[in-house]
Amino acid sequence: MLGTFVEITTTGSNKEQVQRSADEAFDRIQEIHNLMSVHDPESELSQVNIHALHREVIVSDDTFTVLERGLELARETDGAFDFTVAPTLARWGLLPEHLDRTGCSGNWTNVKLLPSRRVRFTRPLAIDVGGIAKGYAVDVAIETLRRAGATSAIVNAGGDLRVFGREPCVIHLRHATDIHSLPHSIELSNAALATSSPGVTECQWRDQTVSHLVNPNSRRAVTGNISVTVRAKECWLADALTKVVFNAPALAEKLMNKHHAEAYVFSA
Amino acid sequence: MSRIHYLTVPAILAAVPAYAATYHTVESAQKACFPDADKFVSADVALTKDQKKIIEKSSGSRMRGNVQKVWKVSTSGEAAGWFIIDEVIGKHEYITYALALNEDGSVKSVEILEYREHYGSEIQRADWRLQFAGKTKVSPLELTDDIKNISGATLSCRHITEGVKRILVLHDLLLKNN
Repeated sequence: MLGTFVEITTTGSNKEQVQRSADEAFDRIQEIHNLMSVHDPESELSQVNIHALHREVIVSDDTFTVLERGLELARETDGAFDFTVAPTLARWGLLPEHLDRTGCSGNWTNVKLLPSRRVRFTRPLAIDVGGIAKGYAVDVAIETLRRAGATSAIVNAGGDLRVFGREPCVIHLRHATDIHSLPHSIELSNAALATSSPGVTECQWRDQTVSHLVNPNSRRAVTGNISVTVRAKECWLADALTKVVFNAPALAEKLMNKHHAEAYVFSA
Repeated sequence: MSRIHYLTVPAILAAVPAYAATYHTVESAQKACFPDADKFVSADVALTKDQKKIIEKSSGSRMRGNVQKVWKVSTSGEAAGWFIIDEVIGKHEYITYALALNEDGSVKSVEILEYREHYGSEIQRADWRLQFAGKTKVSPLELTDDIKNISGATLSCRHITEGVKRILVLHDLLLKNN
């Protein structure tokens, strides 16, 4: 799910309840994946990308929430976080072709969220919420487990993870792609982690080195042997903040303070 | 204090020491799989080239070597199933694991004996291995739909799942009626 492998570990008072709550959490994750997958032309997000330039598109609570949060962060970072970089990624072959927008001039300021969960674009653009959607799904899974009576849980979606419970967890952080990097251990208690690294998708396109991490201002790819892990209260936020550390390191410090988050930057 | 921590990855050493974890010996795995059993009789199966081909084809998983280490298990004189040791590739290194089968041929449990990779040892965790309990030759045993995967241990999960499939086929072909 979510383009990766999702693991849920949870404890509760009885076996059936625990199994049920885990199943419910997996269902919610699948739901979110179906709504926001940029690869699936039938997903709700794809409908937005196709139609929102021409008419208002009504979306689900989940999608609206993710868009709201993404725009809020874009506002806070003056565009250092911007989920409208999809056309650039499509041009590089990292996202489906139909997201390319030749002559695309839109950015996050052209995404309008209207009452009753409606979305409209004021310029040609395309959205990919990939990063924060995965974190959001992890958050929703945790909430589902908590509401179902779990006493503790870890939800891990390919490295984007969140824990809750009385006992803190020791997590070993490591450079995302360098398997020989020595792990840095931290204690995680009722918080989330997300990791981003260009190395995961780095490849050649024409004569450039590109990756899935695009600097929204320069529209150039972030490349190199760096891996960033962010710890924050919520997983969607940790996810989004990794991009800010890459794209606007000067601003990142201020944001970490504001959101009580921490970043771990692994470099060679 | 800064909330951004810079961690430098040291230069890669010329020889990375081999990492291995032994979770079980054969004996301790037998005990873990069949706590009440009092007899494990060695009944290794040597496969002919044709038998090996059928089994590999039917399961989509390659078998290492030509001999499957099998023990027939009994408790107080009653047949209790089979204890089978198998090896599959993790990413680069082999994983040795044990598969316990009930007398009816369904999976009783899975235990990891030795894990040799740097990472992915999550498959040793009880909760992941529990998913195999009750599986039979006709179970779909598809990764992610049927057996929940473990992030970071993807290849190990897939290969163990395929190994279990392969052994169930072997059981059906060669152990069931003996």
